[in-house]
Amino acid sequence: MRYIVGYTADARGHDAVCLAVALARRQEASLDLVLVTPEHSLYAGTYPPDKGFDTLLSEQMREWMDEGLALVPDDVTARGVVMRAESNAEGLIRAAEDTEASLIVIGASSRGLAGRFSVGNVARSLLHASPVPMALAPSDYRRTDPVTRLTCAVGRRAGADAVISVAVSSARRRGLPLRLVSLIALDAGQSDAGNAEEEANRRLAEAASSLAAGGRVSVETARGSSIEDAIETMAWDEGEVLLVGSSRLAQHARIFLGSTAAKILRTLTIPMVVVPRTYATPGTTSGPGALPTEADV
Amino acid sequence: MSIDETTQRGTGLSRKGLDSGTVGLLGAVVIGVSCVAPAYTLTAALGPTVAEVGVNLPAIFLIGFIPMLLVALGYRELNSAMPDSGTSFTWATRAFGPWVGWMGGWGLIAATVIVLSNLAAVAVDFFYLLISQVLGDPAIADLTLNLPVNIATTLVFIALACYISYRGMQATKTVQYVLVTFQLVVLAWFAIAAFIHVANGTAFDATSISAEWFNPFAVGSFSAFAAGVSLSIFIYWGWDVTLTMNEETTDPGRTPGRAGALTVVVIVVIYLTVALATLAYAGVGDGELGAGNPDNQESIFATLAGPVMGPFAILMSMAVLSSSAASLQSTFVSPARTLLAMGHYSALPKGYGRISPQHKSPSYATVAAALAAAGFYVFTRLVSENALWDTITALGLMICFYYGITALACVWYFRAQAFAGVRNILLKFLAPLLGGVILLVMFVKTAIDSMDPEYGSGSELFGVGMVFVLGIGVILLGAVLMLVWSRINPAFFRQEILTRGYAPRR
Repeated sequence: MRYIVGYTADARGHDAVCLAVALARRQEASLDLVLVTPEHSLYAGTYPPDKGFDTLLSEQMREWMDEGLALVPDDVTARGVVMRAESNAEGLIRAAEDTEASLIVIGASSRGLAGRFSVGNVARSLLHASPVPMALAPSDYRRTDPVTRLTCAVGRRAGADAVISVAVSSARRRGLPLRLVSLIALDAGQSDAGNAEEEANRRLAEAASSLAAGGRVSVETARGSSIEDAIETMAWDEGEVLLVGSSRLAQHARIFLGSTAAKILRTLTIPMVVVPRTYATPGTTSGPGALPTEADV
Repeated sequence: MSIDETTQRGTGLSRKGLDSGTVGLLGAVVIGVSCVAPAYTLTAALGPTVAEVGVNLPAIFLIGFIPMLLVALGYRELNSAMPDSGTSFTWATRAFGPWVGWMGGWGLIAATVIVLSNLAAVAVDFFYLLISQVLGDPAIADLTLNLPVNIATTLVFIALACYISYRGMQATKTVQYVLVTFQLVVLAWFAIAAFIHVANGTAFDATSISAEWFNPFAVGSFSAFAAGVSLSIFIYWGWDVTLTMNEETTDPGRTPGRAGALTVVVIVVIYLTVALATLAYAGVGDGELGAGNPDNQESIFATLAGPVMGPFAILMSMAVLSSSAASLQSTFVSPARTLLAMGHYSALPKGYGRISPQHKSPSYATVAAALAAAGFYVFTRLVSENALWDTITALGLMICFYYGITALACVWYFRAQAFAGVRNILLKFLAPLLGGVILLVMFVKTAIDSMDPEYGSGSELFGVGMVFVLGIGVILLGAVLMLVWSRINPAFFRQEILTRGYAPRR
């Protein structure tokens, strides 16, 4: 199993490496630290042409990569890869496709002051286009111990199956407790609050019963005046990871961050994994991207 | 590209991804023409050159190419001998040692910073002209004459280009093809329209073309000749990019040379056609539309496009604006990279060597280049009445300076091989030596002449010509900074980082 780590030589890249290590441990997963370098366009019209810069940039990237690999503890295998691509997001997606990786790990933008997660440009474009699940490290994430619990946010809409099946297989493989959560925003103007709750409970029960026996599965409903509030009412373990599904707007097998997930992203202080719609769901044909058939997060 | 890998314990780095591909002959010519930016170059340089040499403009345009060609041949040799370090700074340091190398790098930075400020200013002029043409309100075009508005807008343009460059965004193939085609079509349109006016007798000051215009010896004085040549170095600046493309082309053995030749033909034809059209239509008198009128010389198309092209003058505004804006953005890369290299080799404070982890572009150096260009522009605009004109003339001076140093660096670096075969004698010795000497002679002559307060546009500061103040002032500033830095951190100057060397005899 291989994880792609979107690495940059700054705090954000450090967050990503730490999360990747935490997720890879006890998984035998190996890490690809990917540095994306801009495609050198001959048509850029740079004058005078200066090939010296490429030399200096390569040197710098080698240094950065050494620093990045030094962040990875010895029990996790990692290698460095430099990708040439037009954008960081494109480079990471191609790296994932080339190596049939099962996860892309990146750090969320560190510039956000209001929320812990403020979605950076790279994260944003990946969230709208990645064919594989994506793990987002909150800023200043430095934990590298293995994950202790998985929580899966179950939506009311179609498309939740993919994320539940990923969560289940992932929790089983790691021997981790799994918590299924339904998040309910009780807006003041919303009259069908009862309906929403009923629907959520039905969905959770369905999901729980569909799981094979033996796993440690708990079911929870979180309420709040908004999704953000609902999230804040929940208790989170330090080593916990939240899994959310992707919006119905997503193209087949691509991630599109739904409005609920975007709200979660803004409030959450633990890492979050976003799973593409229909990703690795048994019984569905996967897209042309030749995706792995097993849910491997 | 090779795919290998590096682990926590291993070395080496794997590189993957699409190869950026190669360019064919047409692509290389497009790249060459885009670097020359003919629409911008003509509007900026035509007037000042006419002011120096009058109707002998065509002769000077032709003559000016010769030193450029000679130096470019030397550049090409340096480029293939030291492909991994391609700046005047590193080459001159390798050949002549740290002091000359530092000044060579400074010359390149100064030239590109000066052209940046000029590009931004020309873009701003045509930006307001274009808006006024779109809205049909001539008053808007005059906004550029309003000092605070002009300076503020220029600074905004510089900041935007700096940001784009910092983010590492680049023009794509399609964009360059469109920009180049558009420029050439509009320039041809201008020339044809001007000739039609001449034929119909509706030209402003119809002047019949004479063979004498092509005679360089008809230029009145050596001073005028030197000034004209150093200006026409500027108009070909960028052309030599085609020669430096080797493995990037589909046929490295032939494409660069052919592309270089074809680019020159395209450029010379368009320059001569537009120059002849302008002279035939407007004459060199100082009348309202005359090419000899100092008011018109700063930006010739801003004045002439309207009368010549009628309502289609808007196309000329678009061509000059797009050409200067595109060059503004791409030229930003250059001083930033040289500053970065100088920072890296400790020839400047370490900060200049910083690369942005996110965008993989020079971070500190790009901002420094923008601040320098902005500062230079504000200074020139405040002290000179003809800022654009003076910067172009100072720019010609600066290009002669750093090109001259680089050409001689080529001669000196290859000294052990110079006489091994006819090819070496020509390309590694004679061509760069001749080119370098010509440029440095032009540099010295123009520098001495420009002390005269009447020189060029006639602007002055403390009784000294503005061009001298700008050109020599910037070089002296560099020398002072070099001395200061060599006191603070002498490592580079003691050759602890880059050492002198020369190409072995083989």
